[in-house]
Parts: sequence; C-alpha cells; structure tokens
Amino acid sequence: MDARILLVEDDPSIREVTAIGLRGAGFTVTTASDGREGLDRFEAEPFDLVLLDVMLPRLDGLDVARAIRRTSTIPIVMLTARADTIDVVVGLEAGADDYVRKPFEVPELVARVRAALRRVGQRPEDGGEHLRFGPLDIDIAGRTVARDGEDVPLTRTEFDLLTELIRHAGQVLARDVLLDRIWGYDYLGDSRLVDVAVARLRAKIEVDPASPTLILTVRGVGYKAAR
Amino acid sequence: MPVLRGVRARLAASLVALVALTAIVLGVGASWFVDATLHDRALQDAATQARFDLSVVVPERQLPVPATLDDIVRSSLADTFRQRGVETIVDLGSGDPFVSRTELVGALDQFPADLRDRVARGDLAYAWLDVAGRPSLVVGGRAAGGGPSFYFVRDVSDLAAAVAQLRIALAFGAVALLLVALLASRVVARGVLAPVEAAARAAERIERGDLSARVPVTSRDEFGAWAERFNRMAAVLEETIRRLEAAQTQNRRFVADVSHELRTPLAALVAEASIVGAHLDALPADSRRAAELLVADVGRLRGLVEELMELSRFDAAAEHVSLERIDLVRLIQAVVASRLSSAIFVPPAPAVIVDTDPRRLERILGNLLDNAREHAPDAMVEVELTPRDDAVTIAVLDRGPGVADEALDRIFERFSKLDPSRHGGSSGLGLAIAAEHAALLGGHLEASNRAGGGLRIALMLPLDVAEPLPLGDDTETVRRDAGVRSATTEPDP
Repeated sequence: MDARILLVEDDPSIREVTAIGLRGAGFTVTTASDGREGLDRFEAEPFDLVLLDVMLPRLDGLDVARAIRRTSTIPIVMLTARADTIDVVVGLEAGADDYVRKPFEVPELVARVRAALRRVGQRPEDGGEHLRFGPLDIDIAGRTVARDGEDVPLTRTEFDLLTELIRHAGQVLARDVLLDRIWGYDYLGDSRLVDVAVARLRAKIEVDPASPTLILTVRGVGYKAAR
Repeated sequence: MPVLRGVRARLAASLVALVALTAIVLGVGASWFVDATLHDRALQDAATQARFDLSVVVPERQLPVPATLDDIVRSSLADTFRQRGVETIVDLGSGDPFVSRTELVGALDQFPADLRDRVARGDLAYAWLDVAGRPSLVVGGRAAGGGPSFYFVRDVSDLAAAVAQLRIALAFGAVALLLVALLASRVVARGVLAPVEAAARAAERIERGDLSARVPVTSRDEFGAWAERFNRMAAVLEETIRRLEAAQTQNRRFVADVSHELRTPLAALVAEASIVGAHLDALPADSRRAAELLVADVGRLRGLVEELMELSRFDAAAEHVSLERIDLVRLIQAVVASRLSSAIFVPPAPAVIVDTDPRRLERILGNLLDNAREHAPDAMVEVELTPRDDAVTIAVLDRGPGVADEALDRIFERFSKLDPSRHGGSSGLGLAIAAEHAALLGGHLEASNRAGGGLRIALMLPLDVAEPLPLGDDTETVRRDAGVRSATTEPDP
C-alpha cells in the first residue's frame, strides 16, 4: 500500500514519531507544522488521506478541514486533544470522516488510517452499477450522486453511508452496525460519528433536513433508508 | 420568625400583667379605703348627731314618762330630725312604734335583735341596713334618764353611689392603662427587636451564601456595638471564604494546567512508546527490559494524566450531559466485551431502553469493571441490570476480598487506595471519576460487601419519566412503558 498521507501537526515530537510509524506501516508521508502550511501542501500535491491536528497555529484544523472540503472528498481524520462532545462534533461537522483521540498509540492510528483508506479502494466490483433512490441517482463506480439531475457533492463517508443504507432499504441498521461497516470499528466506536454523518448527509439530500423522508431515524436503535 | 413573635408576645404579656396587677391592687385598695373612710365619717357624724339629739334635743321636749304615740307626734321631734335628713323610728315598747314615714312601718321588726338589745340597755348602737329598700345607717339610743328608744335612719345611698362611681372610674382608668401598656410594649418590642430582626435577615442572607450581608448600625447603644461586632465577624468570614475559594480555584487550576501541559509531551511519549513496544525484539536484552518498563510506565502515566484531566473538568463544572435513547443491554454487552470479557452478564430482557448519556454510562461501567478486575483478579465478576419503573440499577459484583465496612464510603474518594492488596495500574481515581459521572446523571454509586465475600458496587440511575422524548419521526418500534422501555431491536429480515 503506497498511499500518500498529509500529516499536519504542530508538535515536532508527535509529528516525527507519527511520521515514523506511518512510514513503517508502508505509507508515504508529507508533514506540515501549521494549518497554513498544511493547506499549501494539500493544494500543491495529490494525497490519499489527511491527518489533521485540531489545535494548530496560524490556521486551526477545523478551518483547514472546511477549506479542503470545499474542493475535495478526500478522507480526513482529525487528531483531537479531547473526546469532548463539542470538539468531536465540531470536527465532524467541519467535514472530518473520523477522529483519533490523543494520546494515541501508533498502531491504533495506523488501523484508523487503513480503515479510512480501505473504503476508498474497495468495491471495484460495483463498476458500472447505478442505483435509484427516490429523487437520487447514484453512480457507484464514479462515486457521484445526482438529485434531479443536479450533482450532490458527498464525502466518501457520506457516500458509503448512503449506499449502505440504500442497499438495505427498509431495514434498520443499528449505529454500531454502521460503525463497523462504514468506519471499521469492531465495537464501541463513537456513535456520534454516525449521527453527525447522517445529519450532514440529510442536509445535502433531503428537501427538509428537519423532517427527513429518505433517511429515517429509529430511536434508540439506528437509521434506515425509506423503502 | 416565630421566636421573635414569641419575644414580642412575652413582652406584651408581662407588661400587661404587671399593669393589670398594679391597677387591681390600686383600684381595690383605693375603693376599699374610700369606702371605709366615707362610711366611717358618716358613722361619726351620725353618732355625734344622735348623741346630741338624745342628750339635748329630746330632753328639751320634756316628753312624759312613759310617752305615748301622741306625745311623740305632738313633740314634732320627727320634723326637727327630718330637716337634717334623718327619719325617725321610736320604739315605745308597745309593739306599735312611731315612724316618721309610712315606708318605715314594720322596719323596726327587721332590725337585728343585737341592735335592739343594746339600745334597750341604754347604749348608743348602730347598724348598716337596708331599710325600706334603701341602704341606710341606723343609729339607736335612749335619751339620758330613760324614755323610749329612738332609731335615727339616715339614707346612705349617695354614699354607695359615690363608691360605685369611684369604682367605675377606677376600672376605666385600669383599661386605659392596659391599652397604654399594650401600645408601649409594641413600641418597645419594635425598638428592641428591629436590630434583632435585621440581624436575622443578615444571617439568613449569609446562610444562603451572600457573604456581603451586613447589619445596619442605627444606634450607639449595646445593639449598635453588637451590630458592629457582627459586621466585623461577617467581614472576616467573607474574607476568609474568599481566600479559601481563591486558593481552591488556584489549586484546581494548577492541577488542570499541569495535566494540560503534560498532555502534549505525554501524547508524544505514548506514540513513541508504542513504536518502541512494537520493536522490543530488536533490542539487546538489557535495553529490552528497560524498554518494556518504559512502555508500561508511559501507560500508567497516561492513565493518571487522563484521569486528572477528567476530574479537573468536573471541578471546573465544564461537563454537560447529552441524553440519547439507548439500549442498556446492548451498551452493557459492549462495555463488558471491551473491558472485562470474562464478566458474566445475563440480560433481564431482550432490550432495556432508557434516555441517558451513553458515554458517561460507558465510563462508569468501565471503571467499575476495571476496579473489579484489579480488586479481585481472576475472581468471578458479574454484572446485574435491574430495571424498575423510575430507576435502573446496574451493579458490578466481584468475589474479591471486599472492603472493611467502615471504609466502604471512602472508596469513592480521590486517590483512595484502601486495599494494600490492590495492585496494577490503578491510580485510585477510577471510582471517584465514576461517582462524578453518576452524580452528573442524577444518580449515585453505592458500595456494599456481599454475603459470602466480595464487593458489590451499584449504580442507581433515576429515569426522568416526566419528560419523555418526542416520538420518532417514523415507524417507532419502541414500546413505551413507565420509565424503562422494552424494545424489539431485531432488524427486518
């Protein structure tokens, strides 16, 4: 696996040891020490994944994530200092696909990075398949969604979440099931990942995100796509 | 302020009682004295007059002996006496006495025998009697040298009326005095109690936490001095508390700052140690052992710093609860699987749906399981879930050595390491953190020793049934019971 990773982290020790670990796992790593530099690097070269610290000098990680999301659906994994609701939810709402809480062990980080990358590379067998879902037209191979002929830009996580729900339309998918299938968490992932991703997805595909008709909530359990 | 009302009532009651007693003593004394004086004087006058009449006036008329009724009438003695306001009865010894007025007929027979005997013996005697329906002073006697018995009947009803009037006046005076006393007691009570009431209000404010409360100093008397003393005490108290709070805040901020400053190097250490730990085999034997210890110690340091940070967030009241509707059975199964997979959990129902903060619940249960693992290594650990209408109990039971009964409450204190047999990475903060989370959820932790040995720590979690979440926006598979909801979570086939 020769995936290219952009690592934006201001602490030199953490930056260096993380880069060592990722390189040891077979990734190509480019580092940046602040938000501005990170964004410049991102715009200069192609990457497969961005690892982004939240607290960064010059331009913080949330702003970097928002700036990247304006042009790209690349997987973004946040490195958050705390697992607080606010930090995590704000990070996810800024466009992150997943987060890793500091302090982390390098193998744990590598596993999250692999899980995020695996989704990008998987399902080549889906080639040419098109799905219809209400007003949505989904091109599996091209990973694009159109609503009434108009392109809806979805991140990879949102796209995977949508297709997973549609493939099991009418069936309730529990949060932990979705965490396992979309994010690759075996157990005890953070269910806020699912909730925030569903909220972002609804904001893009529903006519009225406050009273959704396509992706429905089953309280206390999870979500399902309307049949 | 019932005590103050009591003082007021007591003050009024004692003042009124005092005034009433004085008025009664004075009134009774005065009326008795006046009554006695008036009667005495009337008697003196009457006696003097009678003596004069019997020794001078009656002998002047030279009544024949024995005198007849006609002799008395002719002598016109009765007219002479009547001019002085005195009616006359003359006992002629015949059983048919002379009376100066027709109302007095038969009056003589009602005079006491004692009076008549003494008069018959020639003494001057008197009696206070009701004669013909009027209060009267009767003075009887015989003229010098014998003759009939003369009784002089003097109407003294004006005397009784005067005394009665005096009594009425005295009663009015007493009532007026009592009113004045009542009024005075109120005024005095208000004056005395106002500073006390002000002090009570100030103390009440201090009790509610407003340490800036002071007593107004309105006078230069004892109360004024007392108020100044009170205010000085309040000021010292305020200053002391302020200093203590500042010290505590500083202390907590220091802990928060320290843990925060430790975070970044710790994050680096953890990442670095994880790489070292992955390559232990490549190290020479001596360095390898050191590296192993390094990795383990970094893990311990990490646990300690993270728990300190967690506690300092509680101290800063920076923690918020975010409620979700979740299935407790699923949550407990997941936590058991990740923290202590050997623990036994038998679900009481396929699903127990509650509204709570799942992350906090995971933290509490995880810490309880960690505690059981460290406290009772290799012993059987069970998790019990007991749903009730308005609360759930989640208990973790172990078969370890338990805790001395008197130390049970202290196991939730910070850095409490009561059991010397405890070992491993325990910081002594895990149960304290669990207790803080439980409190934030409105519940609490209870520790008890089990019959047959071992410790039971139970989380009592009340369920807010007053505010059920709004119904879902689509097909709801949740059946709503009182507080605990059972749900079928099987997905459609």
